[in-house]
Amino acid sequence: MNGFLLLLAGVFLPLFPFSMIFSAVFAKLTHPVARVLLLLLWPQAGVLLLAHTGLPLNAEFFVGWAVATFLLYALRLLSVRDLFQWSGMLMISATSLTWLLASTTTERLLLQQFVFWLTVAPVFLVLLATAFQTRFGAAYAGLHTGLARRLPKLSALLVFSVFAGMALPIFPAFFSLLGLMVQSPVQWGVAVLLGWLLWTWAGTRLLNGFVFGPPTPITAEDLCRGKALAIGLSLIAIVVLNLIWTGVKP
Amino acid sequence: MSHLTLGRRLKIRSMIHMAAEPIPYFWPMRTFIHHNPLHGLEHLEFETAVRQGEQLFHGRGFLSRAEYQRYDAEGRVCEASLKDAIARFLAAPRPNPPALDLPGMDLPALLLHLLKKQPEPVTKPLLLSTADDLARRLHDPSAPIDHATDTDGLAASLHAEFPPERPLYEAIDSLFGTQIGDTIDELMIKSLLDFFDEGQSTWQMPHREKGLFWAWSAIAKRNVRFFLRGVHICKIIRKDATPEGTIDHILTELGLAEEHWPAYITRELTRLHGWAGFIRWRSSSKNYHWAKEFPADLIDLLAIRLVVGLALIREQARRHKVPGSLPALHAFIDEHTAECYLRHAYHSGTVLPAYAHAVDDALAHRHPKHINRILPDYLAAERQREASAQADALRRLCHAAGQEPALRALDAAALGALRQLLADFEHAEGMMWLRAMEAVYRRELIGQIRLQAPHKKPRRPFAQALFCIDVRSEPIRRQLETVGEYQTFGIAGFFGVPISYIGLGKGSESHLCPVVVTPKNLVLEVPTGAMGIESDFYSTAGHVLHELKSSVLSPYFTVEAVGLLFGFDMIGKTIAPRAYHQWRNRIEPKHPSTRLLIDKLTREDADSIVRALQRVMIVRAIQQDFGIERESVTDAVVKELRETAMGLRSGQTEFARHFALSRVAEEEFIARLQTDYQINRSYVSLQMERLGRIGFSVEEQAFYVEKALQSIGLTDNFSRFILLVGHLSQSENNPYESALDCGACGGGQGLASARVLAQMGNKPEVRRKLREQGIDIPDDSWFLPAIHNTTSDGLSLHELDLLPNSHLVYLERLRNGLRAASRLNAAERLPKLEPHTPRNLGTIKALKRIERNASDWTQVRPEWGLARNAAVIVGGRHLSEGINLDGRSFLQSYDYRVDPGGRLLESILTGPLIVGQWINMEHYFSAVDNERFGSGSKAYHNVAGRFGVITGNLSDLRTGLPAQSVLRDGRPYHDPIRLLGIIEAPIGFVGKVVGGLPKIKSLVVNGWVTVVIADPETGHLHHFDHGTWHDLGLAPYLANLPAPAATEELSA
Repeated sequence: MNGFLLLLAGVFLPLFPFSMIFSAVFAKLTHPVARVLLLLLWPQAGVLLLAHTGLPLNAEFFVGWAVATFLLYALRLLSVRDLFQWSGMLMISATSLTWLLASTTTERLLLQQFVFWLTVAPVFLVLLATAFQTRFGAAYAGLHTGLARRLPKLSALLVFSVFAGMALPIFPAFFSLLGLMVQSPVQWGVAVLLGWLLWTWAGTRLLNGFVFGPPTPITAEDLCRGKALAIGLSLIAIVVLNLIWTGVKP
Repeated sequence: MSHLTLGRRLKIRSMIHMAAEPIPYFWPMRTFIHHNPLHGLEHLEFETAVRQGEQLFHGRGFLSRAEYQRYDAEGRVCEASLKDAIARFLAAPRPNPPALDLPGMDLPALLLHLLKKQPEPVTKPLLLSTADDLARRLHDPSAPIDHATDTDGLAASLHAEFPPERPLYEAIDSLFGTQIGDTIDELMIKSLLDFFDEGQSTWQMPHREKGLFWAWSAIAKRNVRFFLRGVHICKIIRKDATPEGTIDHILTELGLAEEHWPAYITRELTRLHGWAGFIRWRSSSKNYHWAKEFPADLIDLLAIRLVVGLALIREQARRHKVPGSLPALHAFIDEHTAECYLRHAYHSGTVLPAYAHAVDDALAHRHPKHINRILPDYLAAERQREASAQADALRRLCHAAGQEPALRALDAAALGALRQLLADFEHAEGMMWLRAMEAVYRRELIGQIRLQAPHKKPRRPFAQALFCIDVRSEPIRRQLETVGEYQTFGIAGFFGVPISYIGLGKGSESHLCPVVVTPKNLVLEVPTGAMGIESDFYSTAGHVLHELKSSVLSPYFTVEAVGLLFGFDMIGKTIAPRAYHQWRNRIEPKHPSTRLLIDKLTREDADSIVRALQRVMIVRAIQQDFGIERESVTDAVVKELRETAMGLRSGQTEFARHFALSRVAEEEFIARLQTDYQINRSYVSLQMERLGRIGFSVEEQAFYVEKALQSIGLTDNFSRFILLVGHLSQSENNPYESALDCGACGGGQGLASARVLAQMGNKPEVRRKLREQGIDIPDDSWFLPAIHNTTSDGLSLHELDLLPNSHLVYLERLRNGLRAASRLNAAERLPKLEPHTPRNLGTIKALKRIERNASDWTQVRPEWGLARNAAVIVGGRHLSEGINLDGRSFLQSYDYRVDPGGRLLESILTGPLIVGQWINMEHYFSAVDNERFGSGSKAYHNVAGRFGVITGNLSDLRTGLPAQSVLRDGRPYHDPIRLLGIIEAPIGFVGKVVGGLPKIKSLVVNGWVTVVIADPETGHLHHFDHGTWHDLGLAPYLANLPAPAATEELSA
């Protein structure tokens, strides 16, 4: 029974090849709200299943499988240019690390918070990808470059959201990964570090395909002030909340 | 060894030289020369050349419509000119006469509306959709469009996309996203930076003396990174040792038919046209020190490009199965048309965004099944998008112009014709806007100039000042004329005396004259000895610090040791640049008192100098080789050694006998004198030849002074002071400083030229000869050199120690006048540099603010330089006296009445006018497309190899003007219009002179300059336009005068 539950958890805290189910569902949904909800809820279901099997997780095989999935998708991020797909794969890569944390903790809440902080960046990226899709027909890196000059607000939000995705300092994922590395055995810590490096590399490539480079002639309008402010403030609020949470956490 | 015959090698060399003709020279930044980026296309009509230039250099030759519309909103575009251009356009013959096919459409109104109200182009490229699609979309936006796919058509369009002259790697990059072109450019730039370095690098590239291709090959053969990456350069280099043979081998290997080689070579060389222009100039500059030391030419450059390109193509062909030759490429297109079409769309960034991911997936699988599955849908979507976008754009245009019903009434054929007409019109509109802008400026300027008989000054002016024709001289001349009895003239800043100049402490010659002139005479600056050349602690310390900075290891410890000193320097320069600069000036050694050697040496003088130098060398050799001091040898001994070394005598020397040298030791010493110390006949003849270039004969000096004075019409009524005002620009941390110096002095500073003419003009023998020619310069007239600092507006006098006593009492009055002019000019210029300056700032404060720019190292725009230049006025000062020309006009003084043969006008047209046209075109193209023809923002610039500027750490050499020189807030500050030449002389006379000058005639007829003749004998203005002269009628100034007065003046 436990084995079955673990495999089922592998669908929701995606392990390759079960991760393809999430990818397929994510690609099928077109409404941004549906995608956001999927990003937030799908892995939480996995945490519940995992907790049901008992914590800490005592299945080294699954941990290795999860870390391999994490690295595989981190590597895959390097070649993906569609921002929606990128967000989905970042989510898969990030949440697969939950397995590693589960092997070191007994607290379900901790796992749920861990997953939540890691899915924040993909959620913002999905929102921004929708804004790009509305303007250009697709959110695809390399088609419209040099947007920093033409769409400064959208570009700035994309930069900070990708930074959040790359788990740079002060963003929630940074503390989550830092905590995970501290608690994990050395060999897994090194693997996490390697994947983290791949995330930052992939994030930089992604930004190059949108924000920097020679500006493409476009007629699209930038985000309106209200929407830009709302997304920006939300991002700041998430960062502040995470800092508070990180500070008060025992 | 080469497998090619000499004839074949020469053919390839000449082919490359011909192919490189459109690439303009690029001079080193030390003597930045304003040049026309399309100089190589000046034989073409302006608009045609701009179109070719756009293709060659991938730049833009006209502003965008939105920019022109902004000018229009400011009232700087002539609507009548636009309407005239539209009428001419519609009247021009074309395949689809619109009047026959477009019933109900008011085309002139539609086109005018398009120009003035539509900021974006209306016509879109139609690759797949047809006129029928357009009509269907226009009449019913939801109507379905035919989905049929014409694969043959796709293949044809792909073949057309990759013509033979397009480098193969560009085609591969477009189809496979490989970035071979960027990699070649990057590798080339690195190698070129290494080879052409002029002392900036601490470690130099080896074997540079053997030439670019040889030195590069030697390193490339041992490049491990190439080897590891699988880029087998050695295999290609081994085929032929010469660059010509390598080029021949590679172009043949690529499968390129020989008739396409020239065009292919041009495309290759223009990819990095800055570097190619620099190498082209360098290889033609026989006197350029670095070119003599380290030779390189475009053949080397091309050979290296082709070697690297072929190696990278082969690597890609091996790894990713891309086509390795042109025939293979075209066969690939025929076999995989659908794949190529999608690949091209995807990698060139034109893919439909909604399909980008699907296309990416299909191409990644690289299976025909996947690709053929997606292609029909993709093409249908693309066709629909094209037709919809075009139909919407036409509908919006016609709706806004009130002609939508007429549009809807058109059938498919008429719609196609309308679209084609609009596409042709949008292609041609740049020239229309340009003419319309020029019309406004021309009308304003000719409305101001005073075409009247020159009136004689009632009394002798206090001083006469000859300024450079530079546009920056116009405001300060105006100010100087307002403060007192000053009469000013405009003359090219080298004062008509082309010199090759070696300044004190400089090791090389610089040509102080327009670059189209090659000077024959050399002028040396020598110290007078009145003030010792200081070699104090400050100078020594500065020298040591710079040595430490350039060493490999020393920076590791000198940072801690002396870094603080640089910190003080930095703080001083940043916080209080003006005060800090003044303090530095006080402690830095002063420039010693010097004179210029301008007199020709006789053969005896030259011989005597050579002998004296040889004797000094022999004494030094004796001391170094034998440790024998000067007091131990007599002049006779030295003379005997000299004669022996020169082969004038043989046998044992007294020196050998006296110091008991063996025969062998004596012979060795003599041989050393001949080789190491260059005491031999061939070197003497070389020295004699060089000495023969120094100075001018008295006849030459009289000729130059006479020519200078006659050319500006100053032949009598000389004042006490005749100021010869050269100009320079002073700024800190500015690689483009020399761009702000004197263009007529070859990008150098104008003081040396002023000193030369002053020394000549003050010479009694010269004045005697001038008197014989009818130019009587009174004894109390004194030519005084001066310099105008165009950044700080300072006017300073030089060689005051030579001033006669009789003039000293007037000196303070002169200085006061100059100072007042400087302050007034600063107050006029400051608001242009700092638009938010308070209006009532005062002239003294304004001057201080302006002076700060000259010493502020953070200032990216120390002055506007020649920006906004728009006209050259060749004529008397009366034409523009008292008129504010806003620093936009070159002013060349000229009086046709003293030039009956037209020789002086010829000199003006072939010198100053051409320099003005180069400056104007440099500004025009830098303003229109600053990224391609200009040099982008200064903020990212780095000095490369001490000869050029690059953006970031690797880029093409930036050849044009930086954004800060021509743009303000991203918009052109310089109005990009062609130079308007206004010549005051009878039209028949000018026509005759211009007709005898093929280059000038070509510039005028082809529209590189626009010309108005102000005929003082009829009072009429004549404008050359559309290939003929147009009489503009009586000059506005004369037309507004009371009739009798005008008649009187004309008859005078």
